[in-house]
Amino acid sequence: MAAVVGHCVNIESELGVPTVPLITSEFYEQVKTHHTVQKGMPGLRVTYLIPPVWGKTAEQIREDIVGNSPPTGKMVMREIVENLTKPLTAEEKKTGTIEQSSGPASFTDTPDNLQQMFMEDRMTDYMPIILPTEEKVAEMLKGTSHDPDEVVGRMAAHTAMPGDNNVEVFEHWSYTVKTVAINAVMAGARPEYLPVILAVASTGKEAISVSDNSFTEGLIINGPIRDEIGLNYGIGALGPFSQANSTIGRAWNLLSINAGNCGRIGTTYMGVIGNPMNWNNVIMAENEESSPWKPFHVRKGFNPNDSVVTLCEGWGILSAKNSRYSVWAREMDFSGTLKKIVADQDMLFGAMAVLSPPVANYIKEEGFDTVEELVQFLSPPVEGQGNAPQAKMPFRRRPQINIVVTGGANNNYWSYGGMAVRQSVLIDDWR
Amino acid sequence: MKWRISMIVLAVLCLNSLLSCSRLDNRTQTQGNAGGEEITVLSPKGQPPPIQLKPMAPRLDTLDGKTVYLVNDGYLGTDILLGEMQAWFKANVPELTTVYKRKGGGGFTAEDPELWAEIKEKADAVVMGMGH
Repeated sequence: MAAVVGHCVNIESELGVPTVPLITSEFYEQVKTHHTVQKGMPGLRVTYLIPPVWGKTAEQIREDIVGNSPPTGKMVMREIVENLTKPLTAEEKKTGTIEQSSGPASFTDTPDNLQQMFMEDRMTDYMPIILPTEEKVAEMLKGTSHDPDEVVGRMAAHTAMPGDNNVEVFEHWSYTVKTVAINAVMAGARPEYLPVILAVASTGKEAISVSDNSFTEGLIINGPIRDEIGLNYGIGALGPFSQANSTIGRAWNLLSINAGNCGRIGTTYMGVIGNPMNWNNVIMAENEESSPWKPFHVRKGFNPNDSVVTLCEGWGILSAKNSRYSVWAREMDFSGTLKKIVADQDMLFGAMAVLSPPVANYIKEEGFDTVEELVQFLSPPVEGQGNAPQAKMPFRRRPQINIVVTGGANNNYWSYGGMAVRQSVLIDDWR
Repeated sequence: MKWRISMIVLAVLCLNSLLSCSRLDNRTQTQGNAGGEEITVLSPKGQPPPIQLKPMAPRLDTLDGKTVYLVNDGYLGTDILLGEMQAWFKANVPELTTVYKRKGGGGFTAEDPELWAEIKEKADAVVMGMGH
């Protein structure tokens, strides 16, 4: 709904053409108090529809549009006519600038009360935090050579894919190196993790997407930084089994909540079901040493000794044993199974396979000397010819297939999901 | 015998009251401490941008003789919705011309400069759906 608001505000203000955005009434509060205000047009004349519209027949919709709009009690079509023809009020003609503040720069109280206040004011993920005193933040800032006052980036509750020409739908908050360090302290991170967190922060990508799809985000971390900060890429690589794995994703979440104004239910978070991977995101340090192929970042054009973090987004990752194609058999056909799974899944976010080293090595022995050869084998036929029904959505992009190797060597397991890679960033720039 | 039982019951009640008071004192004491000495911590918040109020477009004096673009941003069901609205306008505002358009650009938020140019040139008003 934010997109419709954004387009209509631009059509009104830039083209001089009056508009009526149509939005289902569930979003009344969000649109009235948030989107229209942030876009600089609090008087935008939205007509709210009886929800849902998607899934209804033409007959049902015909009845709805001559029914009453839930917030106003006026007949929908009559209200549209009125919104286009009733002269603007003095309030609607107002121009000028509204300054915004995010509150005081510091808080003083007892530690217990501060913990409670941070939670109640939604400055946490509802788990206890390390309280960010000046001393702890100063210690954290030793993890980078960058000036604490340097602006790292801008973040909103929804960001477009890099290169896309999109209307800005949420306001972007800005943040400094010090803001990132404060959130890193709160997450329980150590100073040596700060360059990774800053590199992620520099992209402006939010960890908690507003989308009602309940997306999750992920990080693929490559290069020497993995061992320098103790990231786990052995047994349990995707789980909470090292301080670095457990806190880098949390720091990204807290930064998104506090410095990007993300994750506020009803305004900047609308995930219908929610996603348990939002707790820490999907943190993947690649097991480069046990992989038969070039590391992920090298395939993206970086040098092997570069430390790189790659951001990805989508539905999440789960065990391949979840798939009906995954079977226990004496002779495993890993590449064939992987191909069937890829062909069977919605490719909105492409496919991501997270292979344990033994599975990756088996696949190499099947004849795939490079990841590129494997991806070529896995790539689905052109749209419309695949096995799986593909949803007719307007933002389908060229499907990606990404391969990450991580985890232990103690069995032949692997995971998969729909996670599209967005961008890779050099961590070394933030040391 | 009855006297002895009464004394025992009384003693148990008194002991229980004492223990309850003790537990209450501990709880009060904990809340009173509320985590010890006061400390100062830094705000983790970013900086929101200033909001520049934008002018709304003047409204139409009438819909008669005007052209309204019904723009589908691509969400599921919007084609049916706008089709039904088009039929309602035809029946109820016969002097109005409606033009149905599907916004291009590859996504809800994507810009469609060609359509915006066409709207500027030919449309008197726009109805756009649908925020879901």
